[in-house]
Formats: sequence, structure tokens, C-alpha cells
Amino acid sequence: MIEALLQTLLNGAASGGVYALVALGYTLVFSVLGVINFAQGALFSLGGYLTYLLMGGRIGVNGALPGWGLPAGLPFWLALLLAAAGSGLVALLVERVAFAPLRRRGAEPLLALITSLGAGVVLVNLLQILMGAEGYAFPQESGALAGLPEVLMIGGARIRTIQLLLLLVCSAAVVGLSLWLERSRGGQALRAVAEDATTAQLLGINSDAMVRLAFVLSGALAGLGGSLIGMSVSLPGPYFGIGYGLKGLAVLVLGGLGSVPGAIAGGLLMGLAEALVPAEASGWRDALAFAILFAVLLLRPSGLLGRRTVDKV
Amino acid sequence: MNRTPLLQLQGLRVRYGNVLALQGLDLTVHEGELVTLLGSNGAGKSSTLRAISALVPTEGQILWRGGSLGGVPPHRIVRLGIGHCPEGRRVISRQSVLANLELGAWLRRDQAGIRHDLERCFDLFPRLAERRHQLAGSLSGGEQQMLAIARALMGRPTLLMLDEPSLGLAPRLVAEVMQVLKALHREGLTLLLVEQNANAALAIADRAYVLISGRVAQEGPASALRDDEQLRAAYLGG
Ligand SMILES: Nc1ncnc2c1ncn2[C@@H]1O[C@H](COP(=O)(O)OP(=O)(O)OP(=O)(O)O)[C@@H](O)[C@H]1O
Ligand SMILES: [Mg+2]
Repeated sequence: MIEALLQTLLNGAASGGVYALVALGYTLVFSVLGVINFAQGALFSLGGYLTYLLMGGRIGVNGALPGWGLPAGLPFWLALLLAAAGSGLVALLVERVAFAPLRRRGAEPLLALITSLGAGVVLVNLLQILMGAEGYAFPQESGALAGLPEVLMIGGARIRTIQLLLLLVCSAAVVGLSLWLERSRGGQALRAVAEDATTAQLLGINSDAMVRLAFVLSGALAGLGGSLIGMSVSLPGPYFGIGYGLKGLAVLVLGGLGSVPGAIAGGLLMGLAEALVPAEASGWRDALAFAILFAVLLLRPSGLLGRRTVDKV
Repeated sequence: MNRTPLLQLQGLRVRYGNVLALQGLDLTVHEGELVTLLGSNGAGKSSTLRAISALVPTEGQILWRGGSLGGVPPHRIVRLGIGHCPEGRRVISRQSVLANLELGAWLRRDQAGIRHDLERCFDLFPRLAERRHQLAGSLSGGEQQMLAIARALMGRPTLLMLDEPSLGLAPRLVAEVMQVLKALHREGLTLLLVEQNANAALAIADRAYVLISGRVAQEGPASALRDDEQLRAAYLGG
């Protein structure tokens, strides 16, 4: 009984951690630009596929180059980092293409919703052309677990090592990012830009560069999430990130738009709640997730940890 | 005075859509001067400072030490030694007083110098020292104004531009802020002071410009404008 509960909690925390990553990505961009980057889900997919290829996975028969793959696979950790970096760079491209031109023209920020969604669709389609629509399982021999057994026994519970690994990486990313935002010079400047980009410029901070940095970080977080999910489950097809993107959006609203602790708390809450849905009723998971969202918003319209703004005149 | 002015505006125009906020402004600030820019609501005072800080597109010339500022992005302006304490204080309300001051020194790397200037700011505005760990958003309006001035000073500007620092302050606080500006001026800082409170500004300024509808209506030594009853009645509300 305890054992089952422990397993459930760990599963919940693991998927909650991934939701938190995605939601944090949205949060970063939202706090500096006040808009949602709808390409986030596609970047999630991209991360998964990049890791797959970097670890030596081959392109399937429906892909553009059937059977092609890197001559040698990279170790999991390195592949993960490179995939996160790659997704971050593509996020930068998305910013250049879908956001920057609108900002330069002073267009209605809501338009970025459409352009970023478009960028996401293009990205997913490119993935489909390159990789085909089929699912992929990660090559196990390249050793994600680097010698660790596939299953660990903790407190009598059988825990998949990859789940622990996933939780570990998510926690490290979330804690690292939060510390960076709170403690570092760059984080302080990013928060200043988030509050008042014009004034930040008067102090010598390059607000545009900070916006680009926010995009790179948010893309890297999405890519990391996609890699971890691909690793622990599989890559069911180029669209798989879209679902996580939507779930991350729900978590973002649940935690409170623009709040970093809110994104983390919302992610964990969502993951744990879903994990408590029994396997027979797994079809109801998403329904439950959005029911929670609905209930929280009825009680607290600004989300769990949303800012109650105190405006001074 | 034949030396190159520190700042020179020539035929400066600023347009917001169809509104021509500045219609060819000429203005000069020499090193060491305290120049005040007066005018009523909508005269174009803030637009002038925004133009110098490259926050709005401009036509005409903005010369800094004789060289054009054309094409310099806003975040580079402060690097040249132009500090801008904006209208409405604009402190970063979700960060502490100390963090706001650190942000003012964002471009500097001389830790010892920053610490020294921090102490100096706290000497100038002791109230900030007591509240250094408080969120800037929780300060009173007057304290926020002091923080905004101190933050601009932390960048060690050659020219400090202030946009209505007396706005919304009690008379005693206005006097206090003006005393601080006067002291900074005496130490050699060059100031461009935008004000609607003409009496307070003219009392400490060397020279003054009066803006009306985006044009210079009058300029001259502050002492002359101080005594110009007609001008004060007409444009400066006494
Ligand atoms: N962003 C803007 N869009 C359109 N018009 C603007 C904008 N900013 C200023 N203006 C107009 O430009 C003119 C000059 O404005 P500015 O803010 O420079 O005046 P000001 O002298 O600073 O006034 P105040 O003392 O009220 O601050 C005004 O007519 C104002 O309505
Ligand atoms: Mg103004």
C-alpha cells in the first residue's frame, strides 16, 4: 500500500516537474513581453527528437533520410545538454521571426499569439518531414542510466531509475533557474526588464538582449522537458509536445501568470493530481487536470501564487 | 564661452503620430551648468529628455561633446555619461531599495567605487539607508523620488537629467530635493532640470529655457527669468 503510494507520488512529482519546466518557459517570456509563446510545445517535441538523434538514434523509413543517424551516439547527459541548447537556439529564431517584427512595428501583442502558433506548426511539420510521423523508442544501449540498474528498490517500492533521473534533472533546472533569477546580476536585470523595460534601458540594460535571453532559456527548458519525457516514455510522434505545451499553459494559469514559484507549485499539483487518477480511469486525466484549473480559478482568479498587484499612483 | 558644449540640441523635432510634440528645439548645456527647462503640461519637456535618451524617434541634431548621438540605442546613452531620472519615478517596485541602487550602477565594475557612491547616496538621503532592504514599491512617493534620483547618481553621470523631481512632493520635501540638487551642482555635476515648479527651479538654476507648445519661448539667465513677472504670470502659473 505504502509502496504503491510512493510510486504514485514519484510518478506525479516526475510529470509535475516536466509541467513546471514548460510553465517556467512560458513564465520567462510572459514576464518580459506580456505574451505567450505558443511555439513552446513544438520546442518540447524538438528537444525530444534532438536528444534521440544525438544519442545515436536512426531516422525511420518514413523520414527524409531513412536509416540516417550519427556515426556514434553521445552519452545521455551530453545529448540532453546539447538538445536543450539546440531548442534554445531555435526559440531565439522563433523570437526573430514571430515576435521581433511585431514588436518593431508596435503591433498589438495579441498578434504574437497567432505568429508564434504558426511558428510552432511549421516546426512540428518540419520534424514530421525529417523524421516521419512514426513513434521512436530511445536506443537503450547508449546508456541513459550509465550503468545504473533500470529499476531501483526504495522503501520496498520498485522505482524506475529514469523517473528518479527525470525528477533530479527537473529539480536542478528549476532550482538553478530560480537562483539565477533571484541572485545573479543577469537575473536581477531580467526582472527589472520584466517590470519596466524602458526604465531598465535608462539604466544601461539592453532590454532587447534580455528578451532574447528569456526566449533562449524558455526554449531550453522546453527542450529539456521533451528530452526527459522521450527518454522515460518514448517519442510517439512530432505532435507529442503540443499536449505538454497545453498542459504547461494550464499550469501557468493555475500557478499565477508570471509567478516563478507559482509555475513550480502549479506543475507539482497538476502532476500529483493526475498520478492519483487510477490507471483504469486514465482517460479522465486531462479532464481532471482542467477541472482543477477551473476550480482554482473560481476561488482565486489570479492563480495559486499570482501577484496581487499593489499599484502606487 | 567658446568651448564645445556638453549637450547641444539643434532643430530637434519629436512626432507622436500626427502630434508634433517638439517643433525644432534649440538648447545648449555647458559642462558644470545647472540648466532648467520650464513649461506647463504638454509643453514637450519630457519629450525633450526622452529624445536625448533615444527613447523616441527624432529629427534634427543631438550633439554630445560635439558628436552626434544619432543611431545610438537607448541602453548605450547612459554609458556616455547621460543619466536620466524619468518622470513619475519609475522605481523597480518589486526589488529592494538596495537592488534599485545596484541597478543604477549596472554598467560599472568598480566595486569599491560603487560601495563609496552607495554610502554617498545614503548620506544625501538618510531615509533610503533606513529602508535599504524594503521593497521599493512600499516606499512613499517622496521616498521613491529620492530613490530615483539616487539610482541615477549611482551611474556616475556627467550630465544628470531630472524630469519633474518635485512633482507630488510636500513643500518641505521639494526644498530638500532642491538643496540636494544644488549641492550636486556645487560639486561639479552638470544638471538639466525639467520642472513645472518654476520658483523652486529658478532659485537654484544658472540658466533657464521656457517651452511653449514644443518651442522655446524664452531663454536666459535664471536670475532674469526670476524677476520677469509677466512671464511668470503668463506661462509659469506665478
Ligand atoms: N506617447 C505619446 N503618444 C502621443 N502623444 C504624446 C505621447 N507622449 C506625449 N505626447 C504628446 O506630446 C506633447 C508633449 O508631451 P510631453 O510629455 O513631452 O509634455 P511635458 O511637457 O512633459 O508635460 P507634463 O508637464 O504634463 O509632463 C503633449 O501634447 C502630449 O500629449
Ligand atoms: Mg512631462
